[in-house]
Amino acid sequence: MSQGLIARDVVMRFGGVVALDGAAVEVRPGLIAGLIGRNGSGKSTMFNCITGFVQPTAGRIELDGTAITGLPPHRVVRAGVARTFQTPRVDLRATVRDAVLCGFYSLGRSGFASAVLGLPSVTREETRLREQADGVLRRLGLAALGDQQIAKLSMGQVRMVEVARGIAAGARYLLLDEPAAGLTQSERDVLAETIRVVASSGVGILLVEHNFAFVRSLCETITVLEAGRVLSVGTPAEIAADRRVIETYLGTEPAALVEAA
Amino acid sequence: MAYLAELAVRGVLLGAIYGLLALPMSLTFVTVGSIDFALGAYAVLAAAVGSTIGGVAGVAAGLGAALAAAAAMAAIFAGLKRVGVDEPITISLASFGLAVAIGSLILWVWGTRAFVLHSFDDVWVLLGIRVGPQSLINFAVSLLLLAVIHFLLYRTGLGRMMRAAAINPAGAELSGIPVTTLQTGTFVSGGLLGGIAGVLILFSAGLDFTAGLSLTLSGFGAAILFGAHGPLRAFLGGILMGVVEALSAGLASGAVSAMVPLVVIMVVLAAGTVGGVRFSGDRP
Amino acid sequence: MTYWRARTNTLVLLAGAALAGAVAARDAAWLDIAIAIVINALVALSVGLTFGQAGILSAAQGSFAAIGAYTTAILTLKLGWSPWLALPAAISLPAALGYGLARLVARLAPLAVALATLTLSAMVEIVLRSWDDLTGGYVGLAGIPTVLSGHPIAFYALAVGLLAIAVLVYENLMLSRFGRALTTIRADRARAMADGVAVPGLLSAAFALAAAMAGAGGWLYAHYFSYLSPGSLGTELSISVLLMMVVGGARTILGPVAGAVILGVLAQLLPAQEVQGLFYGGALIVILLVARNGLLGLVRREGAL
Repeated sequence: MSQGLIARDVVMRFGGVVALDGAAVEVRPGLIAGLIGRNGSGKSTMFNCITGFVQPTAGRIELDGTAITGLPPHRVVRAGVARTFQTPRVDLRATVRDAVLCGFYSLGRSGFASAVLGLPSVTREETRLREQADGVLRRLGLAALGDQQIAKLSMGQVRMVEVARGIAAGARYLLLDEPAAGLTQSERDVLAETIRVVASSGVGILLVEHNFAFVRSLCETITVLEAGRVLSVGTPAEIAADRRVIETYLGTEPAALVEAA
Repeated sequence: MAYLAELAVRGVLLGAIYGLLALPMSLTFVTVGSIDFALGAYAVLAAAVGSTIGGVAGVAAGLGAALAAAAAMAAIFAGLKRVGVDEPITISLASFGLAVAIGSLILWVWGTRAFVLHSFDDVWVLLGIRVGPQSLINFAVSLLLLAVIHFLLYRTGLGRMMRAAAINPAGAELSGIPVTTLQTGTFVSGGLLGGIAGVLILFSAGLDFTAGLSLTLSGFGAAILFGAHGPLRAFLGGILMGVVEALSAGLASGAVSAMVPLVVIMVVLAAGTVGGVRFSGDRP
Repeated sequence: MTYWRARTNTLVLLAGAALAGAVAARDAAWLDIAIAIVINALVALSVGLTFGQAGILSAAQGSFAAIGAYTTAILTLKLGWSPWLALPAAISLPAALGYGLARLVARLAPLAVALATLTLSAMVEIVLRSWDDLTGGYVGLAGIPTVLSGHPIAFYALAVGLLAIAVLVYENLMLSRFGRALTTIRADRARAMADGVAVPGLLSAAFALAAAMAGAGGWLYAHYFSYLSPGSLGTELSISVLLMMVVGGARTILGPVAGAVILGVLAQLLPAQEVQGLFYGGALIVILLVARNGLLGLVRREGAL
């Protein structure tokens, strides 16, 4: 059984639009993969297909050999594939610890009835989960923010809390939805370091991003989508030198062009 | 067999009233995204006023009262929009409040008695089926109004603007179409058409202060039965519902027939087909 | 006692109810009103739960109370059951029905769900009115065995006890992972799905819990007033508890309870029974116009970043 989150021959058609036309992407444990492409290239659709928010018209998505194609989001998460959101809508009163605790939902063993009755087993479980949440925060260097209200965080901190929430339940793969968007350079650096820490613990990471410099510095392999198909796959250096990529994609990213040169 | 035919015919004629109620219901639903729960109340109000005054003057007064009530709803809608509220559920809830208020008002002023007036005493026999002349009038009036609405929507500039506002309110607004005014207009149309329905029922089976909600639900069920797209579908929905109701009333019981619009609504809602994107709860 | 420190709502309720009870005990009429307020509070709490947490505007809570009331009435009156044995049934039947309805429509937009509850409410009313053999039809059921008869103060304590249990259960829910999940669903349904929450199932469970609370209210009603008709609980109650929730605020657990007290006292000032609808409907409209962001403004404490 091959270890990896593998999407192959994914087709997504709706309302006369072909968003994905045989696209593919691979994520290996402990490695950071990037998925880039222009607006409309299909990368968001691919993201949603893998995470279960959209059902692909055709194709196969496998998690360590098991098919997860078409599973609804909550099943995909329980199978071990977590995701972050670019701009999560939050309860303004929630704290960082509350947010990370939400990520532990699928690990809870107590049932609805036990919870509602306030049984001691539920209280014990809550204490246990709280400790685990603090552990995750510590691992990512966010321990100091535990009691902070989410509404008061900077955008960079919010993105990292999203990462913490995503890995809380021990997902083997984590998909990040444009985590660098709108961040300052120093915030991006901290985020990149956080992502590396997560990957080093064996989690396979797929980064869907617009910012080529960010992707280039972080990813070991990059898949470029164009018009719903794979345009190129390779290391950052290979991608940056690929003429097709430069023409279609990098050409639209002035900063990236300078980087690539 | 003849009995079934008679029930079916009765159902078609009854369904015309539902179709009539379904017209403004679908207009409001498509243009505003909300349900005017006070639609049935307009009808009952028209019937109450009409029965008190009687005659042609009563009809006019009844329609006037219904229009006044609908104007109140239109004002509430405009007020809500003014304070920045345009969620369908809030607008619908406000209309529900108005419906309850009007129902209570009717109870307070008129009590629990039924509002019914006699028009014709004789019964005609057409092709071996007995029909009351009033129900034929109901059918004719409803059909006429359907034609008028249809003409209005598809053959006039006003209709074009309404359809544009329904499909894309933001875009229509930018094109200079007075979206809020048009939306307000759909509520007023409810007053007019609901009032007419109330008057027609007044001269048919009659109704009392409790009929408001069930009339509203009947109108809504009819509107969504074939998909809330346009007046013709809404009207046909009413006809079909009327037929099923009449058949079940004759073959089963009054309770079963009263359930028909409710079952229709439940089934269509559960199928998740109503309103398309508007009714879809999840977003990726 | 960190257990109780986290459950202040229950404690506040017990304290407040004890105080109110001490005052009401002086007058039999006041005690009647107090008991009615507690019953309303139970049903209003259930509306607060479904709307404040599950985001479902339910017009059916009165009907769930009616089902609970009729269930216990039929079991005790016609089958000779003890009211205490009938209590679980009075709670379970509405819960099962509520669960079923929610599972059917949980995926739909708020208006559709609200409409479904209204439709259910209308269906229940028709059944109660026409199933003469079972429910007594228009006439209803009289002579329902009373509980703690002759001791209204004891009944008041019982009612408060049930209300307190409901509040405690509500608090337990919000302190658990399911409460967190409900809060997430309300703010960002997709985020909840990505947390591993099976959204329709959880919403349905919460809705069932609320229906159970309403059923308990119905049980209390049946065994205190001893007479039931289709109009006793039902659409009118659904509307008034909605208003109680709107007045008291669905933001907090005890908000609807406060609303029940406020409206219960105000209702004594109304000139006539018939005008109640005018008052409720008018008040609802005014509040919706005045509250910023309408209905959601009464609940919304989330935002986008």
